[in-house]
Amino acid sequence: MERVVISDTPHIRSPRTTKHIMLDVIIALLPACIMGCIYFGWKALLVLVLSVASAVLTEFVWKLCLKKNFKTILKEFDFTSIITGLLIGMCMSRDVALYVPVIASIFAIAIVKMLFGGTGKNIVNPAIVGRIFAFMSFTAVGGMATYSYTTASGEIISGATVLTNILQSGLNDVDLLSMFLGTNMAGCIGETCKLALLIGGIYLVVRKVIDIRWPLIYIVSTGLTACALYHSMAYFMPSILSGGLFLGAIFMATDYVTSPNNKYASYAYYLCLGVLTAVLRKATQMEVVSFAILIMNLLVPIFNKVLHPRPFGSTPIHVIIKQKLSKMFSKKEKKEEK
Amino acid sequence: MIVKAKFFGKGVHVPDCKSLSKDIPIAEMETPDFVAISVAQHIGKPAEPIVAINDHVYQGQLIAKASGFVSANIYSSVSGVVTSIEKRPNVNGVMSDHIIIQNDNLYENVVLEPLADREPKTLINRICEAGIVGMGGAGFPTHVKLSPQTKVDCLVINGAECEPYLTCDYRLMIEKQHEVIEGIKLLAKALGVSKIYVGIEKNKPDAIEAFGKDNDLMVVPLKKAYPMGSEKHLIYSCTGRKVPTGKLPSDAGCVVQNIATALATYEAVELNKPLYERYMTVSGSGVVQPRNLHVKFGTRLDDIINFCGGLKEDVAMLISGGPMMGPTMISTDLYTTKTSSGLLALSSKEVSLEDPTPCINCGACASACPMNLLPMMIDFYTQAGDFDKADSVGGVMNCISCGTCAYVCPAKRALVQSITLAKNQIMAKRRAQQGGNK
Repeated sequence: MERVVISDTPHIRSPRTTKHIMLDVIIALLPACIMGCIYFGWKALLVLVLSVASAVLTEFVWKLCLKKNFKTILKEFDFTSIITGLLIGMCMSRDVALYVPVIASIFAIAIVKMLFGGTGKNIVNPAIVGRIFAFMSFTAVGGMATYSYTTASGEIISGATVLTNILQSGLNDVDLLSMFLGTNMAGCIGETCKLALLIGGIYLVVRKVIDIRWPLIYIVSTGLTACALYHSMAYFMPSILSGGLFLGAIFMATDYVTSPNNKYASYAYYLCLGVLTAVLRKATQMEVVSFAILIMNLLVPIFNKVLHPRPFGSTPIHVIIKQKLSKMFSKKEKKEEK
Repeated sequence: MIVKAKFFGKGVHVPDCKSLSKDIPIAEMETPDFVAISVAQHIGKPAEPIVAINDHVYQGQLIAKASGFVSANIYSSVSGVVTSIEKRPNVNGVMSDHIIIQNDNLYENVVLEPLADREPKTLINRICEAGIVGMGGAGFPTHVKLSPQTKVDCLVINGAECEPYLTCDYRLMIEKQHEVIEGIKLLAKALGVSKIYVGIEKNKPDAIEAFGKDNDLMVVPLKKAYPMGSEKHLIYSCTGRKVPTGKLPSDAGCVVQNIATALATYEAVELNKPLYERYMTVSGSGVVQPRNLHVKFGTRLDDIINFCGGLKEDVAMLISGGPMMGPTMISTDLYTTKTSSGLLALSSKEVSLEDPTPCINCGACASACPMNLLPMMIDFYTQAGDFDKADSVGGVMNCISCGTCAYVCPAKRALVQSITLAKNQIMAKRRAQQGGNK
């Protein structure tokens, strides 16, 4: 016993670290990535690899520019940029020009994440902003809004996504099973196979990375709002199984950094997110999950401020309300007496 | 009698590591050549030494007198000669006067006057006289707790022992069952209450069974969760009452006492023995032979470790008390006090030595916090130097410093450090304001 450590309590800690959590998220994303590669071929794999590589490289280059030691950078590397890269790749269609995912990843990591202070300091989700940046910039030239898929017979069909069809021409020949499995669907690489996303989501819930209520509230409230807007319960399943809702609800909206910090604010946040998504979808006639999440990300501080837990032993809310009511009534009585 | 517990629904499951010393009977620690007895072994004013150098003292003789209501008497734990009174560090690193007594190995013993009756007032006076303090770790003088300002109808005994590694309370509940139960009843008598709850965690089934046989006690088997032994959560678990924020347990009609305190009360009342020794656990994988010991106050920790076979090579941390709330120690050149419930030598595999990484706002701290606070916001505002916001947003003044937040934090942030800093700054500010108002 030559040297002992002096530190503040507690001296024992749970074995779980940020890296473990991020690794869990990557594992949960893999099924959807694999299904995307199966459905969309080698081009999809190339897009994913490019976006991940450029995201990770951007983080390293940024930190090298800050004159950090390479060993420190390796030690600090917490897999978050891999997740950002994967998510950006997953919400590209296979028809994009190959420079689009690269530029989107660089923008997401450099501007949205590192400029604000790195992991944990970004105010909006980097992957979401990366996607929106690419969507805004490369719709005409980069193929951001062109979707194609290969049928079982080898035929390449390019067309609109199911969601666009539903939004523009109603519920005509919607095949829920193929929407769930993603077979013969036009769409982004990672968002078509809802089954794979669901498996990833269940993995995250089992590993206690996310609360099952978060995506559930988001998805259900989107579906119900859509039903209300179209005055028909038939819209429930098609609206939740189309577009990027599963990808957004399970992996993007639940990003810790850009979501509320306590359960009460979280529930309200995901509820509002669902309503906003459905309303914006109807209003704009296009896929708006990423825009809805971006808008709500910016409102998170308000949710945190309005809804927060009350310390153990505080006067229960119903008692406070009762007291206030009785005060109001007693005032009224006094006035009447006067 | 066994009654059902309520659960506060938060907290965290910490591996209890009690098997190291759980089944080892209490052993008597060899008495050292000299003892160094601190005069600041409790919360409140340090006691005033009433012996001079070269005085001969008996075992059980008063050597330092309580210097106020919130203070406690201190007795000599050996017989011998006072060699010096000097400033030495306490286990928490604060310097205080230590009375050093050379042991003559004769153990000439003096006891207190036998009590004439068992009236509440007499009992409280005896507890005050014997220098009994809360022996769970805080060291709050027991007679103060037994004289509450508001009406109290429950006594809650803390047998949860939710800190990992520590087993001395468990051993007492098994080995000194009769004495502990009698002590609990004396405490209830002193308080004038008839409802006695004894909260015991479910990982001690034999203690639950043994205590459950007594019909005057309501034994509450508690779910194994940290921090079950926190006063506020123990009261909620046992009685279903919530202590209002910023108030004392007595405002919920409850007083909480520890198992070791109950035993000390028994010894002071029935055996007329003042408090000069206690039971402690020596454990951790850095100790050759983990043990439960009966030690005299002022025993050098080095001697205790040698008595347990010494330290192994790979010791990363020395802790006084439990690993969740106990302070780390610089060396073993320190001395036992009334609050030394444990001495842990942990290896680098057991303790957390990771560097903090940025907060990712995962909310694990907030969902584990037994007080429903927002530790990440406290940390955020404390780092920014905005202590008022740390209180208004994070609720730092309600914190019980249990360390649950830092235990679960995946980013390994030093949350308790931030919390302590914020608390101290806010308290200093409040004191300054009060001073200004006068």
